[in-house]
Amino acid sequence: MSGFGQPTEIGVAQYLLMMIEEIGDGTAELPHTVGHFPGTPTTLDTDGRLGTDLLTCIIDSIGGMTSGLASLPNWIVTTNLMIRRAPDALTGPRGTGALTLDTHVLRRGRSSVVTRVDTTDSDGAAVATAWMSCAILTPENGPPPFTRPVTPFEREVPTDPIFAAPAHEFFNLTAGKTAGVVELSVDQRLRNPWGILHGGSSAVVLDAAARSLVLGRPLIEATPEVIMTDLAVHYLSPGRVGPIVATATSTGRRGPDHLVRVEVRDQGADDRLMVLAMTTVRRLD
Amino acid sequence: MSGSAGVIDSLLVPADDASTDSRPAYPPPRHAMSLLALESEQDESGDVRGWMPVTSFTSSADGMPRLATVAMLVDALGGMRSITASDPEWAFTADMSIHLLPAGPTTLLQADLHVRRRGRRTLVIEAELLADGERPAGSALLTFAVVPRPEHLVNITLNMAPGRRMMNANSAHEKLEANYFDELELRADTPGVASIELRPVVSNTVGALHGAIHASLIDEASASLGRSLFAGDAVTTDMHLAYLDLGRVGPLTATASSIGNPADGRLTTAVDVHDGNGALVSTATAEVVAL
Repeated sequence: MSGFGQPTEIGVAQYLLMMIEEIGDGTAELPHTVGHFPGTPTTLDTDGRLGTDLLTCIIDSIGGMTSGLASLPNWIVTTNLMIRRAPDALTGPRGTGALTLDTHVLRRGRSSVVTRVDTTDSDGAAVATAWMSCAILTPENGPPPFTRPVTPFEREVPTDPIFAAPAHEFFNLTAGKTAGVVELSVDQRLRNPWGILHGGSSAVVLDAAARSLVLGRPLIEATPEVIMTDLAVHYLSPGRVGPIVATATSTGRRGPDHLVRVEVRDQGADDRLMVLAMTTVRRLD
Repeated sequence: MSGSAGVIDSLLVPADDASTDSRPAYPPPRHAMSLLALESEQDESGDVRGWMPVTSFTSSADGMPRLATVAMLVDALGGMRSITASDPEWAFTADMSIHLLPAGPTTLLQADLHVRRRGRRTLVIEAELLADGERPAGSALLTFAVVPRPEHLVNITLNMAPGRRMMNANSAHEKLEANYFDELELRADTPGVASIELRPVVSNTVGALHGAIHASLIDEASASLGRSLFAGDAVTTDMHLAYLDLGRVGPLTATASSIGNPADGRLTTAVDVHDGNGALVSTATAEVVAL
């Protein structure tokens, strides 16, 4: 699930620092937005590339916000999100550095919204394409306040040094005892405005679990030698308590591509299944 | 949304007043679903297992079933599973993702379906695929939108008795004796573009393009682009498909474009399906592998 709420106060947004602007005068029935992700040493890997975990975070953020704009005066929760990375932007200089996310609402129905997000690098080369579905709901305290069209704004970054830490520290990850298991401790900065775990946080913990399984060792840190090339993630229930535990299992492989199934459960909430994902993890070495 | 409820045709118990129903029988002879000779079995819990024979007319050059036919199998079984899972309401397919593994030449594909979430408004079903009863062949995830049961389906009686059976009675006497896409008259004259006329044999119960035929268009648009770019054979191995609207006006056309450039024998595509009026009716991404 994702929400945008008061964007300046969302910890995950404050960590990723993506600027979002709405294209047009804000009256379009199907909104169009563009996100500018600067990339920082703490969010990019040693090659300057954004991992699929944080890529999912920023896609979920801008896609969720844009879907929400299409749903006003109601708002949305993400139900599923599908991402594919461009095959020629997995290694080398292509696809590194700052990113642009072009976001279009494709369909706004009575109860759901489907939105596409195309991501390119600063040279305009494709990095990834994604679509996501959101369910429309009526939030208890109304939708987040937005002035249309949405214009870029500077986010205030807290002085807490955790906001300058590597992703695995910011997202409170702990490696399991065996490969394929990663735990996330829920902290206020990882919640969305409705108090539930930000959808991007689920993507981060499941990405680490899947990479850990393929490398055959417990890990939480970035691993440029493996990358999720595609992801189908279904958000089944909200994460509220924690610890949040992602468990990856292998379904099979096609050459360097490993098909991995990941379950994410909220152990503190009766081990409830929060997220189910299928992902392809490629070994690049 | 897709009208995958076509599967109920095989589950309907004949009513006494059937002779007064003037609607054309569904599915018509040589329908895209019945030609695949799908079988299903439902257990007491409602979970569903199904099978699809794989022939030279429905397989890729690697001997695996084409993604298009796998989409038909999981769509039909998912629709069947959704009936009990969404009862007393109804469910329509909202999206579908499929990942295929290289299981080698296959004669029978098996799918086991399980409900992973039954929410107030959505239903999520997972399918595990097995080649010849022993080799992992991939998986699928489907989302259904749960809606009030349509008026014309409120009083129907469904035969949900356990036991293995053909999913469509026509399959007992109809045989596929040509390439599946040729039989459906699905054309891809230009790399990356596939189209089909809207005819009853590729339609669902409400006369719109059958949900699995969207997948056929996406499969062939992507694979044809891959064959062109790789200058050799290629197979669509993965697909993430979102249904946006009913395709009620033909011809339906899928247009695939490459995301970045192909690399290491892999092509990633984004595919849009438009109806005859130019309206976007579904969108997908797909992965194509050079053989």
